[in-house]
Amino acid sequence: MRALVIDDSTTMRAIVSEMLGGLGFDTAQAGDGREALDLLESGQRFDLACVDWNMPVMDGLEFVAAVRARRQWPYLTLMMVTTEGERGQIVRALAAGAHEYVIKPFTPDALASKLVLLGLLPVRELR
Amino acid sequence: MSLLGAVGAQQVAQIAQEFFAAMIDREPGLLTSWSHGPVTVTDPMHAWVGLGTVPASRLQLTTSADTAGALTRALLSKGEAEPVADDDVVDALGEIANVLGGNVKALLAEHAGITLPEVSRQLPPGRGGVGAGEALFAWRGRPLVISLYTL
Amino acid sequence: MSISAGTFSFVADLVRRCSAIELTEGKEYLVESRLLPLVRQADLAGVDEYVDTLRRVPHCAEHDRVVDALTTNETSWFRDFSPFQALTGHVVPTLLARRPNATSLRVWSAACSSGQEPYSIAMACQQVVPDLRVDITATDISAEMLARGRAGRYSQVEINRGLPAGMLVEHFARAGTQWALSEQIRGRVTFSQHNLLDPPPSAGPFDIIFLRNVLIYFDLATRADVLRRVRSVLRPGGFLLLGATESTIGIEDTWEHLAIGRGFVYQVNPSGVL
Repeated sequence: MRALVIDDSTTMRAIVSEMLGGLGFDTAQAGDGREALDLLESGQRFDLACVDWNMPVMDGLEFVAAVRARRQWPYLTLMMVTTEGERGQIVRALAAGAHEYVIKPFTPDALASKLVLLGLLPVRELR
Repeated sequence: MSLLGAVGAQQVAQIAQEFFAAMIDREPGLLTSWSHGPVTVTDPMHAWVGLGTVPASRLQLTTSADTAGALTRALLSKGEAEPVADDDVVDALGEIANVLGGNVKALLAEHAGITLPEVSRQLPPGRGGVGAGEALFAWRGRPLVISLYTL
Repeated sequence: MSISAGTFSFVADLVRRCSAIELTEGKEYLVESRLLPLVRQADLAGVDEYVDTLRRVPHCAEHDRVVDALTTNETSWFRDFSPFQALTGHVVPTLLARRPNATSLRVWSAACSSGQEPYSIAMACQQVVPDLRVDITATDISAEMLARGRAGRYSQVEINRGLPAGMLVEHFARAGTQWALSEQIRGRVTFSQHNLLDPPPSAGPFDIIFLRNVLIYFDLATRADVLRRVRSVLRPGGFLLLGATESTIGIEDTWEHLAIGRGFVYQVNPSGVL
């Protein structure tokens, strides 16, 4: 399984990549929505994208909308990982096509539990 | 009334403590209210995010450069002696301000945007040093100041 | 008694791989105290010896029990997910097919902790059978947990754990730094104090009983006892759901199990001794 971690913070990218790595994912990183889209367009395949909202150049909501509009990557699960925690923002993201939503701060088991919901992680598996 | 007064120092404390317990300390109780008399932050670093309230406001985090390094190591699950690059510290402190700011703004009645974090050894424009509108914390004994103010 | 460094690192590695939870240095006491019930179950002398047996075999249910034992304080919404899929995909439809005129279903969430399980049941039922009255009796031995359950308010960190975002926006509203569950969902759950070693709650008989991740704390004889008590308040044709790594097999033989998705559901064997 491959995951793309999209966040303008190198710290947060490192944290999320580390968590996903521990769960058996191979990870790549992008610093904004544009970089992430470029990676997708270059033909690299990802099963999961963890998407921050507030980023320069192209923010997370724009990225999600762009991915869903293109319909090129239907197997790509989009999970927001963001500080945007107002209920209205969550609604907006889900409406734009995000599949799941994690509000910062979060614990690694919370991230894992969301991946179980998405069917991207078996409940218990030795890796 | 300061923005901090409106939002509530207790709620800011709750946000900070939950964040630290979940992602920095990985256990509760290491971020507490400062109770060691007046605060002096030596060799300070400041990280802040702007909140799109009307009028605009800001959440600012101030701590010593040394503490900033320790926070970075903790966030990245690095050992106490492991080196961290200056860029990493700047990014980490900014992200802490970002997470705090994002959660504080969710308490506001109106939805507000948030700016990308900035980090500096200089105070941001439009703000003085320690004064009203601050929540003072001790993190593993080191002072940490979270201030919330309108511009 | 203390555990060896090798034991600790084996367990920490296992827990990290299966749950992403980090057991950092200093948590040896936790490993020891949480694994002791399992050590007793296995009739071994200590945690080191117990873990040695795990090293010798490929990953199996016993490894899962270790992970469970060390992660059980992390109460989650829709814990393990598949039981809730079994609930909405098989259990509820089967019960309603048998009794098409039923206007209500009764559920018991035993050892409900701070309420995430009974509320998850309520939300799941709301999604598939919104017009059916689902009465959920939630019990726990801890008054503190019951108070938290009744309040129906959860922190941001708690809300991230296992709760689908769609359910969050549908059933919760922000309340300061916390999230508050809707009155509609809260109204379906009644919390009361109950010890599983005592006679079962009087709100039965129940169509569905959730008894998840609590039998592990009892010895074999007590587990059989608890299961007998539970059975006595399960309606004929009713379903029992246990934790992901638990089973009635070897404890109490009046049950039959049915594989649903990644887990099992249990029913009383109709020809068994009652």
